[in-house]
Amino acid sequence: MKPTTKQLTLCALLTAMALALSYLENLFPLSLAIPIPGVKLGLANIVTLFALYALGPGQALLILLARCFLGALFAGNMNALLFSLLGALSALGVMILLSRLRGLSLYGVSAGGAAAHNCGQIAAAMLTLGNSAPLYYLPVLLAVSLLTGGLTGLASACLFRGLRSTNLMKG
Amino acid sequence: MPMRPSPKLRPTAWDALVVLCVAALAIGLAVFQWRGGTQESLTAVVSVDGEEIDRVSLERAAGKRTYQAGAYTLTVEYAAGSARVLSSDCPTQDCVHTGIITRSGQSIVCLPARIIIRLEGGAAKDGGVDAVLG
Repeated sequence: MKPTTKQLTLCALLTAMALALSYLENLFPLSLAIPIPGVKLGLANIVTLFALYALGPGQALLILLARCFLGALFAGNMNALLFSLLGALSALGVMILLSRLRGLSLYGVSAGGAAAHNCGQIAAAMLTLGNSAPLYYLPVLLAVSLLTGGLTGLASACLFRGLRSTNLMKG
Repeated sequence: MPMRPSPKLRPTAWDALVVLCVAALAIGLAVFQWRGGTQESLTAVVSVDGEEIDRVSLERAAGKRTYQAGAYTLTVEYAAGSARVLSSDCPTQDCVHTGIITRSGQSIVCLPARIIIRLEGGAAKDGGVDAVLG
């Protein structure tokens, strides 16, 4: 299916917003309160969640890939690419599955995605270090992800509520 | 564009199930890891890129040691029963911020330098569950 101009524009906008949110996130150094590598708000997940519902899994994936590659490029840190890719891909995968379950709201989908994101990052850390030591962080990371996942779920719910009166969601 | 089902905006009971699953996974992993602990006395195992380069018994203070890995240098202080990274010239400083580790299974990871300092052995005296609530 050829994307319409509107979809293309929306994708580009969302990619830019995801990058801006990832950057903004550094202004709230959650890792100072909880000194564990990998602790963060996961604001970019709001964009993934929105794209998943508004545009579908395919375009959500494209936005996510663009975000990870450009983010690593801007940060000048290609090592971080594996981390963000594995984290973001597992988050998207789980959120695609969870979003098919009718009973779940944005909150559940978001929390599941946040937890999967942390699992993916720990897997990346175990791969690069060749050691299972990073697994030690996972319980705390998962606990924090429930909080941050709920928060991004709340933000997305507000977003969808605000957009309900516009025709953005109708394509 | 096909209209996708619009998401539910209020938390449902099923969301609680997801939360419970994640919490159960976290607690399960935590119990599994913190239960570990063998007869051997508490030992710090230092590895770079997955290869063990040093082993320090923490029965008594062992002073400071310096490790080089990649482009970075870490200074680790070993006290009786604990270890911490005193200083590192890595950009992220996560290893320094991790602070003191004291229990078997705990570790300090410096990703840029690919160094792991992991505590092994030691009695599981405070490794068990402190309290079970709920």
